[in-house]
Parts: sequence; C-alpha cells; structure tokens
Amino acid sequence: MSAKLHALGIIKSYIGGKSEIVVDAGNTIRETMRALNIPSEIVALVLVNDAPQAKEYRVQAGDVIKLIAVVGGGVNEFRNE
Amino acid sequence: MNGYGGNILRVNLTTGKITKEPTPPELARDFIGGRGFGAYFLFKEVPQGADPLGPENKLIVSSGPLSGLMIPGAGKCDFTCKSPLTGGYASASLGGLFTAEIKYAGLDSIILEGISPKPVYLFIEDDKIELRDASSLWGKGTFATEKELKEKLGEEFQIACIGPGGENGVSYAHINHDYGRQAGRGGVGTVMGAKKVKALVIRGTQPIPVADLDAYRKAGMAMYDACKKSEMLKPWQNLGTTMVVSWCDEIGALPTRNFSAGSFEGGKTLYGPYMREKIVVNDKGCFACPSPCGKYSRMKRYGTNVEGPEYETIGMIGSNLGLAEIEDVAQANLLCDDLGIDTISAGGAIAWAMECYEKGILSKAETDGLDLKFGNVEAVFKVIEKIAKREGLGALLAEGTKRAAQKIGKGSEKFAIQVKGMEQSAYATHSATAMLLAYMTADVGAHHNRAWAITYDLQVGRELVNADKVARVIWLQHIRPMFDTLGACRLQWVELNLDLELYPPALEAITGVKRSWQDLHLVSERIWNLTRLYWAREQPGFGRAWDMPSPRFYTEPPKSGATAGKITSLEDVNKLLDVYYEQRGWNANGLPKLETLERLGLTRLVG
Amino acid sequence: MRLYAESSKCSGCRACLVACSLNLFKENNPKKAALVIGAHFPAPGNYAVSVCTQCGECAAVCPTGAIQKNDRGAYYVIPADCTLCEACVPVCPENVMFVRTGLAETAWKCDLCGDCIAVCGTDVLRIGEIEAKA
Repeated sequence: MSAKLHALGIIKSYIGGKSEIVVDAGNTIRETMRALNIPSEIVALVLVNDAPQAKEYRVQAGDVIKLIAVVGGGVNEFRNE
Repeated sequence: MNGYGGNILRVNLTTGKITKEPTPPELARDFIGGRGFGAYFLFKEVPQGADPLGPENKLIVSSGPLSGLMIPGAGKCDFTCKSPLTGGYASASLGGLFTAEIKYAGLDSIILEGISPKPVYLFIEDDKIELRDASSLWGKGTFATEKELKEKLGEEFQIACIGPGGENGVSYAHINHDYGRQAGRGGVGTVMGAKKVKALVIRGTQPIPVADLDAYRKAGMAMYDACKKSEMLKPWQNLGTTMVVSWCDEIGALPTRNFSAGSFEGGKTLYGPYMREKIVVNDKGCFACPSPCGKYSRMKRYGTNVEGPEYETIGMIGSNLGLAEIEDVAQANLLCDDLGIDTISAGGAIAWAMECYEKGILSKAETDGLDLKFGNVEAVFKVIEKIAKREGLGALLAEGTKRAAQKIGKGSEKFAIQVKGMEQSAYATHSATAMLLAYMTADVGAHHNRAWAITYDLQVGRELVNADKVARVIWLQHIRPMFDTLGACRLQWVELNLDLELYPPALEAITGVKRSWQDLHLVSERIWNLTRLYWAREQPGFGRAWDMPSPRFYTEPPKSGATAGKITSLEDVNKLLDVYYEQRGWNANGLPKLETLERLGLTRLVG
Repeated sequence: MRLYAESSKCSGCRACLVACSLNLFKENNPKKAALVIGAHFPAPGNYAVSVCTQCGECAAVCPTGAIQKNDRGAYYVIPADCTLCEACVPVCPENVMFVRTGLAETAWKCDLCGDCIAVCGTDVLRIGEIEAKA
C-alpha cells in the first residue's frame, strides 16, 4: 500500500534530485520525512491531495503528498555566485 | 522619458503652490525610482535636524519604472520621510492600485512640503491638480474616508488616506489604500497627518511610454507565463503569507508573548489553512499581480470584513499578544486599519505593555483599569482605540515602544523589542542569526522586508555565524529593496521562484537602458549607504550601538517551544556586526568609509 | 467564440486591462481596455468582471458599418470608419462597448485577442464557444 510524494523546490535535493517518489502508507508525514532525511524545519507546508495537512497526518494508500519548501528567494542563484 | 511618468510634482501645503518639474534623467540613472527617489529627495531637501512633524519634513511618494506596466506585481509605491517614530529614515511600501495611477497621471514622485492651514485632500486627475477642503472627512476612519471619496469622485479614483491615528500624531500611523493595503511602517501616516493631508486622490488616463513596445510585451508575457507555470502558484494563492504561520510556530520563530518565546501553544487556530477555512471569502491582489497574497476575510462573530490578516499581523497581534483565535486577530486588524495605525508596531507596543502589567511595572491604574494580561481580547481592542486617540495608556504607547520604555523605566527597556526605535516585526530571533542581523541592520529599524533571511538560517544552520551568512543578508538587502526601487513586488521572485534574469530584459525594453543585476546591486548599495549617512546626519552619536538588537535575544532564552534554552550570544551578535561592517566597507563603528562613498559616487551628494 | 469570465476567481489585479490596452491601442493604459472590473468593497468584498459576449448588438446598430467580424469570429472596430456617434454604447448589454472621446478617436471593444487570459494568474478568463442562453 503506497502513496506518492512530490517534492517542490529545494526538497528535491533530499530525494536524489527527483520530483516524485513512492512512499509507504501508514506512517505520519513527519515519520516519512525523517526516514527520507528531509529536515522538517525546511518544509513550510504539506499538501495531501491538494489540501493542507499537519505533519502528524497519517499517510493513506493512494495519497498524493506535496512537500513545499521554505523559499525566501533565490537559494540557488546565491549558491552559484 | 521611457518607463517614467516624466514629472515630479511638488505640493507646498503651506502656500498652496503646486508645481511640476521634469524628472531629471540623471536621477533616474543613479537612483532609478521608488525608494531610490525617496532617499535622494529626503537626503538632499529635508534639512538636517528637521522636526519630523514640522513643515520642513517632506512626504515623498514615488512609483518606479516598472509601476503601472504589464509586469507581475508592478504596483509598489514608496512613501519616504523623516520618521517620527525613529527620528531617522522611514520608507514604507504600499501595494494595491495607487502607484499605477501616479504613472498614468504623468508623474513619478509626489512631494508634499510644508503644513496646510486646514485639513485638505490632494486631488489629481491628469493635469488637474488641486488641494481640496477635507474638513468633513477629518476624524473619520480610513474605510469611511475612502468610501466617501470614491462615491463622490468615481470608482476609477484611487485613494490613499489616513485615519484618526495619523491625525492625532500616533508615531506609527499608516496610510491606508484600497480597503486594506497600507504604507505601514515608520509613521508615514503621522507625517501626512501633521501636514493636515487627509487623503491623496488620483486618477490618470495617460499612457506610459516605453522604449521597445514589442520587446516589452514579449518580456512581460514571459514573466507571467513563468509565474503561471510555477508549482508554487496555487499553494501561495491559497494561503498567501499565512503559509508560514505553522512553519514559524514549528521552528520557534513565531513571536509569542512579547517575543519571550517563538512557539505558541494556541498557535493552531492561527494557522493559514484554519484561517482560509474559517474566515477567508476571497483573494485580493495588487496591481498586475498573478499571485495575489491578499486574503479578504469575513468575521461572522463581529459582522465585519477585513483584508487579511497576513502573517505579520497574525504574529504581532495574535501570538505576540497571546490571542489564539484568528477571528479575534482579524477584528483587531480591522480596528488598526480603520483607525490608521500600523499593526506591527501596535502589536509590539501592546505586547510590551502587557509584559509590564504582568510584571507589575504598570499598575491597573496606569492601564486605565484594563486587565492587560496576555490573551485578553477585549483589552486589546480597547487599547488599540486608546492608542489611536492618544488617550490614557494609549498616549504612552502611541510614542512607540522605545520611548514608552524610556519613560517608564524600571528595567522595561530590556524587553522593548525594537531596533533604532522601530518595533521588530514578526520573527522571533533568539536562534536565527542571519534574521537577527537583518533586523539589526535594516535601514528603517527592525523590519523584515529588507532581508527575509530566516529561511536561509534554517537551510544552512540557524546558529551559525560566518561570512556567508552575513553576505547573504547584504545580498538580500540589495535585491529586495531594488524591487521597491523598480516599483514592483518581490514576492513573485521570493515565493514563485520567478527567475531574476527575466527582469533586466523587461527593464531594458521599458526604459531603453541596459542594466544587469550587477548594475542594479550597485544602485541598491548606493541607496543603502545614503540612508545610512542620513541616520548619521540626523542622530548625534549614531553608530554601532544603534544596530544592537533587543537584549532579550542574547540574554533570555525562551522557556518553551522549539527554541527553548536557546539564545544568540553577545559575542556572536558583535561578531555579526564586525563582519557585516567589514563586508559593507564601513568602519568599526558602522559608518561608511570614504572609499566606499567614492566607489558609489556619493561623495558629491553628501558633501 | 467569446470570452467568459468567472468573477468569483478575480482578485482585482487588472493585469488583463493593461494587456488589453496594449493589444487594442499599443499603449500601457488600462483606461482604454475592453473589459471592466468592478470592485465591491469593503462589503461584500468581491469583484465583478464584465466581458464582451460577441452578441453583435453593437454591429447591428452601427450606422457606418465600422464594427465588423474578424477571423476569430469577434466583432471589432475599424477606427477609420467610426464616427464616434455612440449608437453602439447604450445597446451593449454588458456595458463593454466604449466611446471616450478624451481618450481615443474611435470606439473600442473586445476583439478576442486572448492576451487578458495570458496574464491572468487566477484563471478567471477563458475563450469558448458561444453557448445558447439558458
């Protein structure tokens, strides 16, 4: 039983540059992030099936999860300078 | 001049004389527009030592070369003056539809000089420019004022007006526009009130000339296309700035009970999704914005409507005052907007008073009988009204937190959360060193707009103190204010990740002048140094001590929340400043070195 | 084909008006746009977008034949033939037929260029087949 996880912005770099991976259902979002080594403190917003959810939300089979990073402008541009 | 309205309008309120002069091309070359124009006119024309509320101070209202054009978010208007809150440089940015009309009326800046003998409003309809009697509007709230003027003159007129707070001299009065957009900080509304100007009313019907129409349309369309393709567009439209409330609560940056902590146990009923569900009825955008952050709300409990609250107000009036219900925060927001006072400074001042009351520094007699405990909604509503009327405790808080604490003493200066006299906006900085430095060094006082560096803190390590962090703050201090100089919003870049490289081609097509971001950074640095010199000119002894944050952030670790037990050491605070001054080309006391001024071409202007 | 507007999605930014004036007049001047955004604030707090339905009433009353159909199926104004008589203005059921003599030496209306759609970030506007009235 699985769900899809989309990473937006800099979170992609934590899942090997991919924008989508498959994750197990049954865990909370927070547990899922921990397992993937995505620091919770850079995730500003969690959307599940396009509705905002708390990080304590328990992933259901078939969910589409989006993790939205804190942005703040031009992280990459700055690093490239 | 391509990309410009073409004229500077001067209104001498003392004599009633109204004059226009062509916008000098060298001014556009060296300072571009918006806050660049504001800083130039302030430094050059407002004499040293001018009383902020006297006739010598000027209120300079400026659009930029992108304002009013088909560029995402091209609706930013700058209000500059000497600040009655800080005694230094004030520059406040207003969104909405106002700045576009300035350009369509063939103007770039409007400079209000002197003091009118009676309440007036400035009426501008293209070349018809008049001061009109505003006696019947004086005393009215901003909403009634705007409504009355629109009904009388027509919907196409855009209105920027003050409320009772500005009339009564509250040090942090704002200027309100479009039923909920403000030039909020530093007391720009106070200066307008001191000049006896109730409202600016404007409608223009002239086209803005551009250098290369086809290239401009193509460049503009490319920017909209990129915004619409951004994966951040929908989430941002849904929540706007309230997106970060839950994040700030989680990481310990949500100001709680006068910044004594950064996480709020009642936070969940302040979060963005909760607010969207409970009170938001519509999205409300500024001029030409594809990603409206404005959320228009209806408060059923009160039978009222308000634009907002946005993040800053939720932090400063919500958690910082211990209010846990979004509907109450929205109602307090409405009161501030209508009465014409800045929600950030008002929240800061009230939080300070609440802490004084809970610590026994202010007695119940001194709070006019109010039980001014954190979380007391009714008391918050009453204090907001008292501030706007400068009545009882309100008269003290209307001075701003720094002066109020100096007056009351008894150790309350230590928890007056301000820099340079401006109340710190809604990021708790016990453990976020770049954000702390951003507040310490912001050109108007402790405001987040110049360098929203807190995301960088969390990305690279919040307690780190190193040259990269300082460089990041300086980079942001050049890039974000540049948007206020160009007259457009930064949030498409900040939140949608709109490619910065899309701006120079658009700017070139519009103005005919080729500028890279490197060139734009240089102009930003010029403005930054000029405003620094303005502070030094106006405040005897200005220097390093003025950049120190509230001692709370280096002496009082929060007892709870994500930052429990954490502070930034005084040693690190000083190290931040040392590195910052060095990178900026300033001396150890934080004043620009001669070679820096020479490099920026400022020596002639500053003498 | 015609333009449709879903007013409840409008945030009042007026990018569409600038794009429209750039198409019609090659000018940055939203006062010369062919759609209208009405703002209803402070209450109830919403916007009403008026757009041309391409009903053709304007063309039907034009005494000089200055309003013709273009290859997109939209009625447009031929400036050289317009005498600014204003006959078209009162017959427009949506109030989006314009004659403002201080601003332009011709009547103007929506010619279905679609630029307004391109700049709208909240998907208010779309072009679709003309649906039969319910």
